[in-house]
Amino acid sequence: MSPASTNVTPQWDNHLHTLLVVEDEVLIRLAIADYLRECGYKVYEAVNAQEAVAMLQSPEVVVDIVFSDVQMPGDMDGFALSRWIRANKPGVQVILTSGVERSANMAATPCVAGPLLEKPYPPQDVVDRIKQLATRVGRSDRGKR
Amino acid sequence: MSAASVTTFPRRIPPTILVVEDNVLTRSAISDELRAHGFKVLEASSADDAITVLDTMRVDLLFVDIHLPGTQNGLDVARHVRTNGMVTRMIMTSSLSEASSIPDLDDLGPFIRKPYLISRVIGLVSESLGWPDLPRM
Repeated sequence: MSPASTNVTPQWDNHLHTLLVVEDEVLIRLAIADYLRECGYKVYEAVNAQEAVAMLQSPEVVVDIVFSDVQMPGDMDGFALSRWIRANKPGVQVILTSGVERSANMAATPCVAGPLLEKPYPPQDVVDRIKQLATRVGRSDRGKR
Repeated sequence: MSAASVTTFPRRIPPTILVVEDNVLTRSAISDELRAHGFKVLEASSADDAITVLDTMRVDLLFVDIHLPGTQNGLDVARHVRTNGMVTRMIMTSSLSEASSIPDLDDLGPFIRKPYLISRVIGLVSESLGWPDLPRM
């Protein structure tokens, strides 16, 4: 094998992972989505849980990780969205974020992929959490969604 | 090599486009395609959110659906741009069959009727912004 044909698998390839950011506050959503795109992720955006469900149900959209606020307008909050995802899209990982202490305490349940990210959160914390979850989302998992 | 033979191309920052559309799948499809063509794209689902974005950051082009949920619609967003003297080009869209029934439409900018081909939107956007422009020789 010549050096030119050596194939080195990168330790981290952000382009393998697609994220869905669910946040009703537009400036927060734009800032987070923009930062995640700069980190190399493909990012979809939804303003509430209903939009998130519509995206996740679309056959043209494949999402690996959902990053969602807990408190959002509409019939579904972030916890309800997380439960919907576990029931309907089990291969999709979820990160929840909240500025409410009570919500943070409620997060200590098996419904979410880990503790809540409390607002305000540094954008790099989001990337670090995504990297942790992404190790659970392999290429082989994508077909199960 | 003399200085006269060197051609330099100024680095251009991609234009920023604000897509305002309440249908999430349509909004995502348009935004995705615009990003694939090199634009920086911001998304909003309502007139209120669009105005918040416009008042916060520079937007080079506004692509807005006239019919939006809430008390304000796409025309209100367009008028906000004009009233505040923002240097923002605009492209309006609607599913209305009679575009001529929309007041002031001709004054606001190009109009594209729904359903539209995304490729046509890309063409309109690129033409409106002159992006990408060809290097001068």
